[in-house]
Amino acid sequence: MIEMLLVAVTIALSLILAGISFIAYRKSHLRPALYLLMAFLLLALKKVIEGLSLASWIERDVGIITGILEVLVLGLLVLSLWKR
Amino acid sequence: MERRSEILRTIGAKPGITFRELARELGIGIGDLQYHLRRLEREGKVFSRKVGKRRYLFPRGFEEEAQRLLIAISTGTRRKILLRLMEGPMSQKEIAESLGISQPTVSYHMGELLKLGMVKVERRGKNVVYTLECDPETVIRLIREYRPGLWERLADSLIDLLTSVGDEK
Repeated sequence: MIEMLLVAVTIALSLILAGISFIAYRKSHLRPALYLLMAFLLLALKKVIEGLSLASWIERDVGIITGILEVLVLGLLVLSLWKR
Repeated sequence: MERRSEILRTIGAKPGITFRELARELGIGIGDLQYHLRRLEREGKVFSRKVGKRRYLFPRGFEEEAQRLLIAISTGTRRKILLRLMEGPMSQKEIAESLGISQPTVSYHMGELLKLGMVKVERRGKNVVYTLECDPETVIRLIREYRPGLWERLADSLIDLLTSVGDEK
């Protein structure tokens, strides 16, 4: 139960941060803001997948998918700091 | 009719005046003003733009200028820079120091203000200084009434954070 709650909070925060990044991108057209937007959306997606895998009716291993998403999120965060 | 001419005259003299300010200045009731403004907008004599939580009113022919002004004041740091430049020409370093923000952030915002034609840049000896290139009264009027929402303020902070990363141009 607590695990699901944490997943829900993480998804909500990721979406809030994605929203802020979107407004920042719309106002400034800064590419790093776009990378952050994608990173936060992917993070939310990753948590959704993880949340679903907690449910007993999903038996497929989602480790690879979430692993790839993690790499993508971190890659986008690096890109947002690096590419101006 | 006389009332409508008075409204039109005031908007012409004070482009960027808000609905509330106009009502207060002319001592007109909200409903009355709404009616006259609707008529004036329909006749194409005035137009309005909603930014943040305020609706700004402009006279006909001010479309391009209004667009530039509203983009220019759309972030908190740019509003602070514009207000600071009203005190006189300043270099990027002076602006950064007086506002307590990084030079790359100031550099980004000055670039945007230059593109919008809100400031001009001049070389004075070894220094490059920026001067305001727009009507200060209109800018002050717009900034005074500007009320950004929470999301907008958070986005502004993110823009400043992102622009402070990296080398100074």
